[in-house]
Amino acid sequence: MRPILELRNLKMYYDTQAGQVKAADDVSFVLNEGESIGLVGESGCGKTSVSMSIMRLLPENARIISGNIFFDGRDVVKLSNDEMNKIRWAGIAMIFQAAMNSLNPVYRVGDQIIEAITAHEPNVTFEEARQRVASLYKLVGLDPERMDNYPHEYSGGMKQRAIIAMSLACNPKLIIADEPTTALDVIVQDTILRELEKIQRKLNMSMIYISHDIAVIAEVASRIAIMYAGKIVEMSDSVAIFKRPAHPYTVGLMSSFPSIRGEKKELVTIPGEPPNLLNAPDHCRFVPRCPFATDECWKAVPSYTEIESNHFVACFHPQNLKKRVSINA
Amino acid sequence: MMLKYIGNRILQIAILLVIYVAIVFFMLHAMPGGIKTLLISNPKLTPQAQEAIIRAFGLNQPLWLQFVDYMKNVFTLNLGISFSYYPTPVWNIIAERLPRTVLLFTVATLIAFFVGFASGKSLAWNRGKTTEYVSTVVGIITYTIFTPLLIFVMIWFFGSFLGIFPLNQFLNPDLWIHTRLNAQIVFLYILMTMVIIGAVMMVSYLMALRFSHKESTKKMIFYVSTAISIVFALFLWVVSPIGIYGADILWHMVLPVMTVTIISYAGNMLVMRDSMLETIKEDFITTARAKGLPDKVVRDKHAARTAMLPVVTNFVLSLGFVVSGGVITESLFSWPGMGMTLLDSTLAKDYPLAAGALIFTGIFVLIAHLVVDIVYAFLDPRIRY
Repeated sequence: MRPILELRNLKMYYDTQAGQVKAADDVSFVLNEGESIGLVGESGCGKTSVSMSIMRLLPENARIISGNIFFDGRDVVKLSNDEMNKIRWAGIAMIFQAAMNSLNPVYRVGDQIIEAITAHEPNVTFEEARQRVASLYKLVGLDPERMDNYPHEYSGGMKQRAIIAMSLACNPKLIIADEPTTALDVIVQDTILRELEKIQRKLNMSMIYISHDIAVIAEVASRIAIMYAGKIVEMSDSVAIFKRPAHPYTVGLMSSFPSIRGEKKELVTIPGEPPNLLNAPDHCRFVPRCPFATDECWKAVPSYTEIESNHFVACFHPQNLKKRVSINA
Repeated sequence: MMLKYIGNRILQIAILLVIYVAIVFFMLHAMPGGIKTLLISNPKLTPQAQEAIIRAFGLNQPLWLQFVDYMKNVFTLNLGISFSYYPTPVWNIIAERLPRTVLLFTVATLIAFFVGFASGKSLAWNRGKTTEYVSTVVGIITYTIFTPLLIFVMIWFFGSFLGIFPLNQFLNPDLWIHTRLNAQIVFLYILMTMVIIGAVMMVSYLMALRFSHKESTKKMIFYVSTAISIVFALFLWVVSPIGIYGADILWHMVLPVMTVTIISYAGNMLVMRDSMLETIKEDFITTARAKGLPDKVVRDKHAARTAMLPVVTNFVLSLGFVVSGGVITESLFSWPGMGMTLLDSTLAKDYPLAAGALIFTGIFVLIAHLVVDIVYAFLDPRIRY
C-alpha cells in the first residue's frame, strides 16, 4: 500500500498575546491509500489544528514551526498559496465541523458545488458539471432536483449530505471529515456515517475522521489515533484500541460513552479538564488527571513506544492489555 | 410572487403618502402666523376684499374640510399657486427643480455607495495594515465633519485657491444667454441618459447570467455592453447641439457631487468594513478557501457579496439624511434644487410651495425605499415575499 499522507513531527503553534500555544506538538502518522484513520480527543486538544495544518488554512497567528506534511509525495508545508490552491479540494477535500454554516447563504447549493468543479477542471462545461452534481446527489441520497435550492431551504441532514457531495466533487484522494455529524441527531448521524464509509470504500479514498466520540469513530475508521493536549498519546487499529486500550486517557474516553449493546454501566467522566496548552509542561500532560500517575510521570515526557505490533502509546504505565480496566473518579 | 409583493408595497406607499401629506398639511397650518393672516395682512385691503379672499381660498371652512380639499388636489397633481413666484403653479416650479436635485444626489449617493463598498471591502481584507488605520481615521473624520465647514473648505480650495471649478450656480449664464434652450430639458436628457445606461447595464447583467456560466465571459458581456452604451451616449451628446450645455451643467456638478460623496462615503465604508470583518469569520468563507478558490474570488464572490447586505440597509437609512443634507448643500452651492426651494419657501411663508416641496421629497424617499426593497430581494435569497 502506498502512503497518501504522512505527517512527520508536525509542530503548529499559535502566537497569542499571552505566549505560544502549542496546538499540535510533534504529531506524526502515516495514512495509506484507501485507509481511514480517526483522530479522537476532547475539544481543544488539537484535532482541528492538525486538519487545518494539512489544508494550510490556518489563521494569521498560527504558524507551522517545524515538521513536514507529505501529501502524495509533496511537502505541502513548503508550497505557495497558489500551488496549495491546486491541491485543496482536488487532492484533499474537507467536510467541516459546522455543516450548517458551511454553505454560502446567497448562492444555490448546486452552484456552490459546480464552482468547486470548474475551479479545478476548467474544461468541464456547465452542463457536464451539473450532471456530475446530479450523480453526486444521488450517491449521497439527495434528490438531484434540490440542487437549485438555496441552503436555507435544506434541512440540517440535507445540508450535511450536500457538503459530503461537495467534498466528493473533484474526486479527491483524501477527505478530512471534521466532526461530520456532530450537529445532527443520533439517527441521522448513524445513517450519514455509514453512507460516508460506504462511499469511501467504493471510491477507494483515504479518510481522516475527526471526532470526540470514540465509539462512532471505531465503527468507521480502520485505525484510531488518540490526541491529548496537542500530542498523539495512543495509536493503533480500532479493534486493538477498543479491546485493549493502553493509555489511561483512552480508557477514560471509552468509559465516558454509553454502549448500546453492552451491559449497563455507570458512565465515568475523566476528572479535570484538558491542560492549557499555553505553558506546556515538560512532563506527561495527562498526569494531573491520571489515576495511575507516579513520581516518574511528573519528571519527564513519556516516549512514544510500540507495545504490541502497530500499537503505539506514550505512557510510563501502559495499562494491562489483557484486562479491561476502568477509572473511578 | 414578486409582482404581488411590489403591488403590496406600492399600496403601503400610497397609504404612507396620505399620512405624510396629512402631517405636512397640519404642520404647516400649525406654523406661527398662519396662512389666513398672511393673505389679508395688507392694510390696503377693504374688509369686503379680505372676505372675498378668504372665501376664494376656502379658508372660512373648517380645517378638516380644507384638508379634504387639499388631499383631493394633491392627488390630481394640483398643488396650488406659489405666493413668492406668483402666478407660477407650484407643480411647474417643482417639475423644474426636482430633476436638479435627483441628478445631483443620485450621482453622489451612487458614487458614495460604490466608493464606500470597495474601500470597506479592501480595508477588512487588509486588516492590520497601516493603510487600514489611516483610511478608518480619515473616514471617521469626513463622516463626522460639520457639513457647512467642509463645503466652505471645498469651495475655497477648488473654486478660489485652485480656481478649477465654478463657484456657484448650476450653469454658466454667459453661455446660456445665447440660446433659447431650457435648462430643464437638458437636465431631463441627462437623467434619461443615465437611466438608459443603467438599464443597459442591468439587462446585460441578466443576459450574462442567463447565457453564460463562465465568470470571465459574464464579466466580458457586462463590461463590453456597458462600455458600448457609455461610448454611444457620449458620442450622441458630443454631436448633438445641446452637448455643450450638458457639459456645462456636469462641470458645475463636480464640486457639489464631490462634497456629498466625501460626506457620505465613509458611512458605507465603515459599515462595509465591519460587516466584511464579521463575514470573513464565517464557516462558508473557510469552505470557499478550502475549495481552492483564488483569494480574489473568495473576497469578492463569497465575502463581499454576502457582507454587502447591511450596507444596502445603511444606504436606505442614509437616504433620509441625503434630503436633509440637501438643504445645506444646495444653499451653499447655490444649487436651485428641492433643498433650496424648501428653505426659501419656508422662509418666505410660501405655504403651497413649501408643502409641494415637502411632498415631493417624501415621494422621492418612498420610491427610493421601494427600489432598495426590490434590490434587496434579489440580493438575499433568504428574503422571499
